[in-house]
Amino acid sequence: MNIPIRMIGIATTIFWVFLIIFSITAAYSVKDLQFGFGEPQMIMTPQNELLFTLPINIYNRGYYNIGRFNVTTEISDANGNQIIRGSSFTPVIRKDEKVTILHNVTLDFNDLLQFSQTYLFTDSELNIAETIGLSLAEVIPVQASGNFSIPWGAPLYNFRMDEPQYAAHNFTHLRVSVPISFENHAFFDVVGTIQVSMYNSSNQRVCSGQTSLNAPQHSPYSSYVELYIMMTSVTPSGRFEVNIQTPLFSYGPWVIPYG
Amino acid sequence: MADNQSNPKTRIKNITFKALKATIKGVLAYAIYFILWTFIAPVAQFLPGLQQMIETFVAVYITLMIIGEFTAGTVYQYFFSAAKTLFVIGYLILSLNGGMIGATFESISLLIDLRLFLVVAMILSLLGLAKSVIQAVNFMNERADSYAMLERA
Repeated sequence: MNIPIRMIGIATTIFWVFLIIFSITAAYSVKDLQFGFGEPQMIMTPQNELLFTLPINIYNRGYYNIGRFNVTTEISDANGNQIIRGSSFTPVIRKDEKVTILHNVTLDFNDLLQFSQTYLFTDSELNIAETIGLSLAEVIPVQASGNFSIPWGAPLYNFRMDEPQYAAHNFTHLRVSVPISFENHAFFDVVGTIQVSMYNSSNQRVCSGQTSLNAPQHSPYSSYVELYIMMTSVTPSGRFEVNIQTPLFSYGPWVIPYG
Repeated sequence: MADNQSNPKTRIKNITFKALKATIKGVLAYAIYFILWTFIAPVAQFLPGLQQMIETFVAVYITLMIIGEFTAGTVYQYFFSAAKTLFVIGYLILSLNGGMIGATFESISLLIDLRLFLVVAMILSLLGLAKSVIQAVNFMNERADSYAMLERA
């Protein structure tokens, strides 16, 4: 009986020693894990989506490999509705290995507009939930998560169409100038076209015209659309229908009454 | 044998030997903790309360170990050994919060999943508990055998 008891004791002691040494070295390895973030980049994909790329540099100088390294970014609106979700995964980061992981998050502007079109015209805030997970020594899962918010600048902030100005063009037509102005508060340039159709009080489309948009980020924009209208079709009141087309988003028809 | 044990000189000698053994074991256990702590210390900066948690564990463990040494040669030695193992099981479950440890630093929350570690530690502790029970049974068995032999003689 004494020998089996002794064997159990020896085996238990050996396993305890292994477990304690492993735990301590795994915990100690955390200290030798270096994280660094590169310069974030923003590019436009061929599908006209905004692609954010954040390079994450990891130098594993610990005693063990790191397994299942993943970074997840979730962007949601103020009501908690998820707008976009991006995830990057690396199965193993070997010890003494230096890796750079590109964490990509793609923003389809039209998806954002599906939640609320106020993002076009009103500045607001977006909530970002960032989660980083990894397995220390490939067996101890660790997860760090944080929430923060970023300001959202509206690309068509304070969009205005002022009263149309009429001028004689020839004997039959008038030239109508419709002043347009807005401020691009967004972090991207607004480049595209704006198309305006004019309807008179009889609900009859009397003319249409378009102008190109080029509003660099964080700058005001002011221009006008010229329309040519038959004098007989003019009514003191009516409406404009505005369509905005950019590579990033399409918006319209947007009805703005005049008169 | 009984005469030898009842001899006051022998008893004092036995107690002194046990005390010396217990002291050496206690000092060794504390020295091991002290060396291991130098490795854990950098991590403990991020986990407030870890040092106190480990210190309490070491203090109770060493106390039970010393009591176990003083009761060596009796069946109570195995009771204290089993108590030590049960304490390890209970303390690990409670202090590790069932294997899921969470901490929050400003707006960042950290979650460490130590369930695998806990399972291995539980299995080893249960092995230790089983060993203590078998040792106690064996001790009683051997004592019964020696009484039977004395009666036969």
